[in-house]
Formats: sequence, C-alpha cells, structure tokens
Amino acid sequence: MGRKLLTENINVPGIQSLSVYRQQGGYETLKKALGMTSDAIVEEVKKSGLRGRGGAGFPTGMKWSFLAKPEGVPRHLVCNADESEPGTFKDRYMMERIPHLLIEGMAIGSFALGAHSSYIYIRGEMMYVFHILQRAIDEAYEAGLLGKNIMGSGYDFDLYVHCGAGAYICGEETALIESLEGKRGNPRIKPPFPAIKGLWERPTVVNNVESIMAVVPIIKMGGDEYAKIGIGKSTGTKLISACGHINKPGVYEIELGVPVEEFIYSDEYCGGIRNGKELKAVVAGGSSVPVLPKDLILKLANGEPRLMSYESLSEGGFATGTMLGSGGFIVMDEDTSIVKNLWTFTRFYHHESCGQCSPCREGTGWMEKLLHKILDGHGTLSDVDLLWEIQSKIEGKTICPLGDAAAWPVASAIRHFRHEFEEYVKNPQNIKKDHHYYRVNNISPEFA
Amino acid sequence: MASTAYINDINYTIQDGETILSFVRRNLGKELVPTLCDAPNLDPFGSCRVCSVDVALVKDGPAKSQASCHTPVIPNSYIYTHSDRIVKLRKNIIELVLTDHPLDCLTCEVNNNCELQSVAAKVGVRNVRYPEGKNHLDRKKDLSHPYMTSDFSKCINCFRCVRACDEVQGEFVLTMAGRGFDSHIVKSYNNSFFESDCVSCGACAQACPTSAISDVFESKSIVADKKVRTVCTYCGVGCNLEVSVLNGKVKSIQAPYNAEVNQGHTCLKGRFAFSFYNHPDRIRTPLIRRNGNLEPATWDEAYDFIADKLTEIRQKYGPDSIAGISSARCTNEENYLMQKFIRAVIGTNNIDCCARVCHSPTALGMQKAFGTGAATNSIEDLKYTDCILVIGANPTDAHPVTGAKLKQHALKGKTTIVVDPRRTELAKFATYHLQLKPGTNVALLNMMLYYIITEKLEAKEFISNRTEGFDDFCSHILKLDMVEMEKITGVDKELVRKAAIAYATAPNAMSFHGLGVTEHTQGTFTVMLISDLAMITGNIGRKGVGVNPLRGQNNVQGAADMGCQPHQGAGYMNAYDPEINKLYEDYYKRSIPLGKGLKIPEMFDASIAGELKALWLMGEDVVQTDPNTNKVIAAMDNLELLVVQELFLTETAKYATVILPGASFLEKSGTYTNGERRIQKVQNAVDPLPGTKSDGEIMVDIMNRMGYAQEPYDPETMLKEISGIVPFFKGVTWNNLGDNGKQWPVREDGTDTEILHTESFTRGLAKFHYFDFKESAEIEKNGKEYPYIITTNRELEHYNSGTMTRRTGNVKILTEDVLMIHPDDAARHLINDGDMVCVESERGKVDIKAKITDEVKEGILSTTFHFPEVMLNIITSDEHDSEALCPEYKVVAVNIRKSKGQYKVKQ
Ligand SMILES: Cc1cc2nc3c(=O)[nH]c(=O)nc-3n(C[C@H](O)[C@H](O)[C@H](O)COP(=O)(O)O)c2cc1C
Ligand code: SF4
Ligand code: SF4
Ligand code: SF4
Ligand code: SF4
Ligand code: FES
Repeated sequence: MGRKLLTENINVPGIQSLSVYRQQGGYETLKKALGMTSDAIVEEVKKSGLRGRGGAGFPTGMKWSFLAKPEGVPRHLVCNADESEPGTFKDRYMMERIPHLLIEGMAIGSFALGAHSSYIYIRGEMMYVFHILQRAIDEAYEAGLLGKNIMGSGYDFDLYVHCGAGAYICGEETALIESLEGKRGNPRIKPPFPAIKGLWERPTVVNNVESIMAVVPIIKMGGDEYAKIGIGKSTGTKLISACGHINKPGVYEIELGVPVEEFIYSDEYCGGIRNGKELKAVVAGGSSVPVLPKDLILKLANGEPRLMSYESLSEGGFATGTMLGSGGFIVMDEDTSIVKNLWTFTRFYHHESCGQCSPCREGTGWMEKLLHKILDGHGTLSDVDLLWEIQSKIEGKTICPLGDAAAWPVASAIRHFRHEFEEYVKNPQNIKKDHHYYRVNNISPEFA
Repeated sequence: MASTAYINDINYTIQDGETILSFVRRNLGKELVPTLCDAPNLDPFGSCRVCSVDVALVKDGPAKSQASCHTPVIPNSYIYTHSDRIVKLRKNIIELVLTDHPLDCLTCEVNNNCELQSVAAKVGVRNVRYPEGKNHLDRKKDLSHPYMTSDFSKCINCFRCVRACDEVQGEFVLTMAGRGFDSHIVKSYNNSFFESDCVSCGACAQACPTSAISDVFESKSIVADKKVRTVCTYCGVGCNLEVSVLNGKVKSIQAPYNAEVNQGHTCLKGRFAFSFYNHPDRIRTPLIRRNGNLEPATWDEAYDFIADKLTEIRQKYGPDSIAGISSARCTNEENYLMQKFIRAVIGTNNIDCCARVCHSPTALGMQKAFGTGAATNSIEDLKYTDCILVIGANPTDAHPVTGAKLKQHALKGKTTIVVDPRRTELAKFATYHLQLKPGTNVALLNMMLYYIITEKLEAKEFISNRTEGFDDFCSHILKLDMVEMEKITGVDKELVRKAAIAYATAPNAMSFHGLGVTEHTQGTFTVMLISDLAMITGNIGRKGVGVNPLRGQNNVQGAADMGCQPHQGAGYMNAYDPEINKLYEDYYKRSIPLGKGLKIPEMFDASIAGELKALWLMGEDVVQTDPNTNKVIAAMDNLELLVVQELFLTETAKYATVILPGASFLEKSGTYTNGERRIQKVQNAVDPLPGTKSDGEIMVDIMNRMGYAQEPYDPETMLKEISGIVPFFKGVTWNNLGDNGKQWPVREDGTDTEILHTESFTRGLAKFHYFDFKESAEIEKNGKEYPYIITTNRELEHYNSGTMTRRTGNVKILTEDVLMIHPDDAARHLINDGDMVCVESERGKVDIKAKITDEVKEGILSTTFHFPEVMLNIITSDEHDSEALCPEYKVVAVNIRKSKGQYKVKQ
C-alpha cells in the first residue's frame, strides 16, 4: 500500500465537520505554520519539490517565491477549484469529503504569501460543494481559525468562496481572475503574469485545490521528508481520478512512480479492464493530453515500463509520450472508437473556447465539424489532412493553453490511430453506431 | 549599452518596453507584419493572432511563434517575420476567419477600404477549403441610430470596438457576449444603438476593421476627392479632424490617430455634427432692415450701409458710442481683425468677446496669481499625474475628449476629486465628490486650504522660494470657522479634509475647472483660490500638475490672446497704458484710444441708457445666451445700428439692422488656440457657400471700406502680422504650425512651451490671495421668495444655443431641454417625470419638462439652454462676477410649480 497523505482520513465518519477534522489532528499544521516565518514556509514547499497539480506541473514553491511584494499593495492567494476538465474529478472528491483540509491549506499558503484575503473559485455546477465549503468556512470563522487574529497569532485572514458560472475556460488562471473580478472570463495576455499583476492588478498566486491541500502534509512532515516520497522530480503523492472501461473507477492517491500497468491492472487501483476486454488506449491526464495506444502507455519506447510520474508519462515527447496533466485517467477498451471519442472531445472544446483567438474560436468549430462529417460517413482523406493542419495552427499560437488542449487530442489521435480515420473514410458503411466512446457531460464521467 | 535583437537576421536596437510589433514596425515599416486586432489607440489585445512571428533565442535554434503585438522583444532574440510556417499560419487563420464572413466584398460599404480584405490579400488567401457550415451571416443590421450603424454579419470578433468603447471613451456600451463560436457583440442590454447607452463618439466605428460597426456617413471608407485636416469648432479641447470632401461637399469626418490633442478620438459633435454647414437655413445673402423687414441686399449695399451709418454715428456721438463683440468661435486672425477694427478704425476700446460670459475670471484670476491667464500645463500631463481635482466642470459632456481621459483616470482608481453641485458622470467614479451648494466655491476652497495648513501639508520650500503673501494668507485662512463653512457649503468637513489631504499628498496633482467656477459673483476669487491650492502644495511648474481651465468655446483662449477685451490689446498688453499704446499706434499706424472700454454687460447697460448707439456682433447670439433675456432684448431694441455676422437667423439676428452671412469653420482658414494654449491650423475643407464670406474677409472688407488699408484675409499674412505684435506668438508662422500646432509662448526660433512657470512666474513670484465667502446678491435678495437654486449646464449633444447642433442629427438624440429635479422636491410639488414645470425667478418664468433624478441635491435644479423653445435666460440674473463681470449663470433663485395653461400635460 502506498502512503496516503491527503486521503488518509477521508473515510473517517464526520470528517467533513470541524470537530472530527480537529480530532484527527486538523489545524495543528496551521498552528505550526503560524509559528514559522513566511519565508521558512515557502522554503519547505520548495524543498518538498511539490509540482502544481492543476495540470501544468509548475513547481509550487518556485511560483510562491516569484510573487511580487510591492509596498502597500495587498496580495492574494486564489484556489482554482474550477475543475472542469473531462476525466478529472479529484478536487471535487476532496472538497466534498474533507473541506477543512483545503481551508487549512489556504490559511497556511496565504500566511506564507502575506495575503490577508484569499478566494476559492469553485466551478458553478458544483453548487452543493460550494455549500459544503461555505459551511466549513463558517465553522472555521466561529472557531477563530479564520478572521481576525487567527489562533491568536496576530494574523488576520479572510477566506471567500466564489462560484463560477459554468465555463471551462474559467479554470485557466487568468480567465479565472477576470471572472473573479466580475468580468467575462477571457484569458489575459501575458506578460504581465498574475504574480506581478493578478486579481485587481495585485500580485496573485493561483493554485489548484490539490496543490494547496498538499501544503498541509508538507508543512506537517517537512519538505525534505515529503520529497522522499515519489520518484525523481515527481515527489509526493498524487490524486488520480480513474474512469472509463475499468473495473474500479474512482479517485486514488498514489505515490508518484507507480507503474502504469500496475495502476491499471492491480486491485489496489483500477482493477483491470471491465468485462475482460483488452486495453486499447489511455488518456492519462484529463481530456487535454495526448491519447496513447496500449503499447505506448504501458511501455516506453525503449521497452521499460512507463510510470505514473511527470517525467515518465511525458518521456518521448508527443511522438510517443503524453502528460500527467491534471490526473484524469481515462481508460478505453478494445471496442472504443477513437474517432468518435475524439469527436466528443472536440465538441467540448468547441463549446468551451472563449472565442477570443481566431484560431481557437474558428478552429475548434471546424475540427468538430470535420469529425462529424467523417463519422457521418462523408469524410475524405483530405479532411483528415485538414484536421491535422487546423490543430497545428492552433497549438502554441493562442492566448491561452485551451488552444493546445483542443489541439493535442486531435493530433495524437491522428498520430497514433490514423488507420482508424482512414478506415472511416474509405469504408463508411463499416462505421459502427454502437462504438464505445467517452461522453463528456457535466460532473460524472459516463460511458456509452 | 542598448540591447538589440534581430529581425530576419539583421540587427536592430531595441527601445525600452517595446513589443515585437512596434520594434518591427519602427525599423521596417507598418506593412511588413499584418495585424487585425491591433489598433493605434488601443492596448494590445492579442486575439487575431495574424501578427504572429517566429522567435528563436539562438540563431537557427528552435523557434516559437509569438503574437508580436503583445509580446515584448527579448534582447538578442531572432525574429522571423516570414518563415514558412508563419506565412502558412497567417493564411490559415484568415482562411478560418473567412469561413464565417460573407464573401460579398463588392457590395460591401468598406470595399477597398477594409482591413480584413487587405490582410487577406496580403497573406494570399484565395479560396477557402472548408465545406459550408454553420455561420452568422444572417445577423440583422442595426440602423436605429441617427449616426451609428452595425452589421454584425461582418464581425470578425477582434474586440476592437469593445476596447475602443472601454479604453478610449470609457462608456462600456459594447461587450462580447456568448463564447467561442457563439461570441457576438452586444450593445448595452442587447439592444440597438439608439436604445443603448451609446454616446455616439464613433470610436468603435473608427476602430472596427470591417463594416461591422460603421456610421451613416461611411466615414472610414469613403472615397474622397480630398481629406483636409482641421480643428473642431465645438469646444476648447481642440480636436483635430480629418474632413473628407467629395464634389465640393463635406461627406464625413474622422479623427487622425497622430493628433496630439485627440489621438484618433472625438465626440459626436466633432465627428458627426457637421451637416449644419449647408443646411437650408443658412443665410446666403446680406440682409438689411428696411421698413422693419430684413430684406436681401448685395454685399456692396450692405457694406455701404454699415460704413455710412457707423461714420454718421461716430461723428454724431463719438467713437465710444460704438462697440464690438467678437467671437470665441472664430479664428485668432478674425478676432485680431475685429479688435483692430474697433480700436484702430472706429477708435474705441469698446471691444469684448464671449469669453466675458465664460472664462474672463480665469484669465483675470490667473493673471493676478501667476502673471499669465492661461492653462499652466497640457492635457498630455494626465499621463503623469496622480490626482485630479475637477471643480465646476462636467467634462464628459462639455469637453468630451478630455472628459473621457479624465474618466479613464478615475476608472483606473487614481485619486479623483470632484467639486460640483451635481453628481456628474465623473463624480460617479470619483474618490471624493464634494457636492456643494451652488455659489459656495469660495467657502469650499477655503476649507481645503485650511485643512492643508492645519495638517501641515504645505510645500514649504516652494512657498518660500517661489511665492509671496503666504503669511498673511495663512493667518487669514486660519481664522475661518470650519463648522460655519460646513453649513454654508453643505459638505461634510471631514470629507473636505480627506480630499484636501489627498490633493496635498499626491506626488503630482492637477486641477481642472470650468464654468462652474467662473460664472459666479465670486468667480475670479475662486480662480485665485484654485491657484492658491496649487501654490500651497507646490503643484505648479512641472509635468502632471498645474491649474487648467477647461475652455468652453473652441477659441476662448485665442480671442482673449488677440485682445478682444477692453483693457488689454493683442498680447494682453495694457490698453490703458500710454507707453504701450504707442506700440499699438506704431503697429496699426493709427491713433489708438486710451479711454476705458465697455465690457459686454456694460454695453447692454449703455445701450439701455442711450449711450451706446451701434453694436457689431461677430457670431454672437446674445439674446439666447446672455443672462436676463428681456434686458438684452431691450438693449438690442435701443440701438441705432446692430450689425450681426451670422450663419443662421438666431434669436439675436432677428433684432439686427444688417445681417452679414458669415462662413462656418469648414469653410474658412486660420488658427484656433485650444485650452492648453495650442495654436492649431484651421483649414477650409470647402469654399464658403455662395453668397457668404468668411468672417475674416468681412472684417477686411469693412476696414478697407472705412478707409483703413488692410491686406486681403489670408491666414499666412495675418499670422505674420499677429506675430509681430503678440509677444508669445513671436515664432509662429503658418508653415511651422504643422499638423499638431504649437503651444504658446512660441519663441522666435519656433520652440514652443508645454508647461508654464517652470523656472519663474510671469509675474516673478506667484502671489497668494485670500477671500471670504460672500453670499451671492441673487440669493440675498431673492432667496426667501425663490427658495430653489437653479444652475445651468450643457449636455453632450448640443453646443450652447444649439444653432448648429440643432441642425444636425444630434437633435434626434437629445430633443429638448429638461429640468433636473430631485425626487423629494418633485414629490413636494406633485411633479411627475415628464411633467412641464414652471420655473419662475424675479425676472420672469419659463416652462421646462421635468426629469426626476438624484443627480441634483434637494433644493437644487439644473437645466440646459440649448433650445430656443425654452429661452432659459429669461430667468437668469443680472449678477456678475465682481471683478471680470462674468455673469452668474450658475446661481439663480427660483420657485417652481406644475405648469398651467398651454404647458399643462395633455392627458
Ligand atoms: C482551459 C484551462 C482550464 C484549466 N482548468 C483548471 C482547473 O479547473 N483547475 C486547475 O487547478 N487548473 C486549471 N488550469 C490550469 C490553471 O491555469 C493553472 O495553471 C493552475 O490553476 C495552477 O495551479 P497549480 O500550479 O497549483 O497547478 C486550466 C488551464 C486551462 C488552460
Ligand atoms: S485559446 Fe481559445 S480559450 Fe484560450 S484565449 Fe484563445 S480563444 Fe480563448
Ligand atoms: S460610439 Fe462611442 S460610446 Fe457608442 S458604442 Fe461606440 S465607442 Fe461606445
Ligand atoms: S464589430 Fe468590428 S471591431 Fe467589433 S469585434 Fe466585430 S469586427 Fe471587431
Ligand atoms: S471634444 Fe470638443 S473639440 Fe473634441 S470633438 Fe468634441 S467638441 Fe470637438
Ligand atoms: S494583431 Fe496581434 S494578435 Fe491581433
């Protein structure tokens, strides 16, 4: 059994409540942190090697140390709880079950950054989780864990939860900031980066829910100790939300470095492919990351086993690798139609593009339309080439990474499964209507 | 050493903070890298991605494509503007954009003048490879507005219009709604231009790269015979305009981006309100009153008639029985000629101009404080200031382009203090709004000065090095009782204290004032107290500070500079000083009178008293615009000769003996001097309408007719003459004014002056003055019987008496004068929104439609005087500024009731 740092107490009855959370040692770490200097906290986070759990994997300690600290200008920590990536549902799971862990992390992080008011921006569709968080915050205020002079430390700290209004793009940190300011959620051009000019033009750190929660065990055990878990630069534990054609979908906390094969097939995690089917492909880090066929996801190009770590998953670049992303692990069995699956992904990005950048606004639409045409049995080989061309003109050429996120699934599907597209184009009569595919909907993953 | 970077492998020097796009454009011209969402007056936005270039950190190293318009240049990087993949990328993007754009260029309004079209041609898109799909080509056109139009089937989602409305105008009318493919522009609450909050500035239309947003004049795409650069005639901002002329007719107006004054922006008056110029109502022939009727006459007849009559009157009653009122709407040259005519040809100092009724107290007050009666700084200084103090001005309506800049300052959260009885647009965004009772400026400023002293925030070094009279001033101010002042002004003294501290502690604070300062009995005093504020805080003589009057009319500054006031001749030299008089006599080659001349209100009195017999009005509608209409009419009636140079048959012209049809600004050349002392070229776009003459030409004709050899009117020779006598025009020539003009004083070598008083003041040391608040006689006399105070103001859409703007589409946007009234006052008199209200003062009464609003406080009313239907000045008073005789338009004691008789609301 791997170590559990975040989910250790998740099944303790009543852990949602402040009293039970405290019985399990909750807020002791905050107390410890309030006795440290803010620099020392940042130092521990740096030592821990923690990498952002929101998708990009940027080292959290480094992000914190980049925060500008101009005289007299307030700073903010913003928690990104917008979790809307198809396949990713770990943050919701955690906030729903152990909300105080997030609040404790927010207090420690804000103290370390010198922020006196911070925000949790939660996805609009998760209204019930919003209420859970708000209830927990109210409890914390009442207990003097938030508000003026928390735990008698002299540190004043206010925490707010803010609800999004149903846009995936508002998970992108600068769109999130715009939205939090009450504006339309359009990503900003960078520079300036949020660390210099973020929320209300003030220095701001945006972190994922899991990143912020991970700060609690890091401060509790010390950065060095944390860094011993995991492998290489992938330190600590990571939450993986596994779904698809597996026997045991769910959220798993793994020590980074578990072999992918073990993660899919062992009973501790996914428990193998359901109905005794064969594995066909995996999207390892949420809908945005490249899809890999069975042989590439299980093994590196050199034949060594691929591991659940930042480095190993991206080994080989996009030619043979993918990304850990936000930990949304989507498993597809042999009956899955890659083309149809891709179409549902592109439909999502088409719907969610904010519409600022012409390549993304128009391109996401055309990718969906072309895939639909192919699925309808009217595709041509040049449509496949056009698909490839569109994605290549979006990737890396837009204001925010949603463009990349929309392009990568298309590129990887064509790269690894071109034969399937060609088959659809050449023999449309063979397109099966009952193929499996991942149907993107709101919160729960659902397969057809 | 300056850092460098490579463009297509050639090394160039980088300027600080430059984007890749500006770096490339500065070195290799505008055309190299195409753009669609970028615009000269907007912040980079990065949405079209057409401007992408490849950037490598080492030569031949891996390149990343970057949107050049918003990415800073990295020193030593290698920029490739036309690598294969970039060329393909651009093509592909445009191709994608065109999949949702109608391909009917040939019938499109902007055909051949469309940025999308030219970028598409440039990147070489020929055909679109995409099958037909869902699109937005069926969107409806919006033709609801007299000026603005939209056709969103042509929209390419570049956000330029949204940004123009936000960043330039600050109106926030346009937004992008929907996301992704569904993104679409929405006006206000998804309504039409007409129903929206749009203020018709046209910035969005000018910014839009396609015809998606445009205007009825098709301004941005019109193919013209010529485009003439000139200056707007509607306010002291002095926006540069580019007038498109086709077949001898003015077709449309755009704002040049390189204009230092307005950077591509205007308000609806400058951009759209030009159609008055050839309106059928224009007077097209001289008219002489015969048997009580104004009858057409030839120019010769008219000139002879006037010359004979003037000569006769002068012989009979002496030159002082003749007076002239010049116009702050006319050019410097015309004003100069007018005063020269009155002084040198007629032989009297009875010359004044409409600056009397607006900023005469500014000129006088600032002369007394600093030595020069003009704005100390430039509008461009707004970029460098930390705090603005706006007193008695509603710039978003009256000086819209500067108003928009002030609003941007406030929107950015920078300290903004507004002193105004009304909750003006700017006040809504201000840090402090000191909503004082009309007429109590002096008390309020004294409070601010008091707190600056008691908080020990005065700039000691500046005071001791550069000013005089401080100790006296200080001891006087400290005697004031703040509780009493609080009662007088009606403003919480704590709020005043905070505002005073904010002004005094800002590193750079800039003040602006308007007619709410000057049009009071204590107007000149108020100006001096504003000057005190600047002195006591050392906010004078550098960038981002100073005292800056917002001039009402386009050439108030110039008319005064040219000597259109009795006591000072051209260049503000004392007209009553025998020494200086010699200077003028030598220059004009005539004997020049030394006797005291009449100011405008004195002229009316003199006429009523039978002492003034002839009056020459250059484009002044004194009947509608001067206070106490009935008295003005009596004065007009009593004259033997009233000559009026006019465009239209105004209320005043109806009393004329002779009307001379003048020409509008679009038909004449010369210079205007804007509120920041900037002398700018006015260039005729079209010839004067047949039968009319430019006002300068008329002056020259009459001077010659009366025996004074004046050269034919031509701005170049006129400027030469003016620069020979006006000291601060020394280096001004027609040719060296260039596109953006020069700010006076202009030295002989042509260098001009952005900021006054940097080293020393014109009068040596600046001088502190103090004044006690004194209740206006109007309130003392009539306050009991007429308990309400009405204050007058302007609306954005109309200009003064509205003679011009009422003859344009503006009248469809704002159709009438309204009376702003507080809800509680309205309730007390059972007045509903839209009811007619009878407003009565000691002088008379008018009926105005009520608009219930909390923009005014209880007890205060406010209205405009744009429409002759109301003739608001029937009720305004005879009170004047004690020093400069500027009328007190801003405080009138009145009573109100629901209208009866013909004005009763028809149910
Ligand atoms: C389209 C888009 C959606 C995103 N959605 C999320 C999200 O729901 N949650 C999240 O934590 N990060 C999301 N991100 C990443 C954030 O921009 C940001 O990198 C992250 O919140 C940083 O947190 P971390 O450093 O703790 O990972 C998204 C990015 C993009 C481009
Ligand atoms: S890439 Fe797409 S989602 Fe991101 S800013 Fe551009 S249009 Fe919006
Ligand atoms: S005309 Fe001016 S105010 Fe109206 S929408 Fe356009 S930019 Fe905004
Ligand atoms: S209306 Fe014009 S300026 Fe506005 S987004 Fe569309 S194309 Fe751009
Ligand atoms: S702001 Fe003044 S000068 Fe500029 S366009 Fe408007 S009226 Fe004319
Ligand atoms: S001009 Fe740079 S992105 Fe549009």
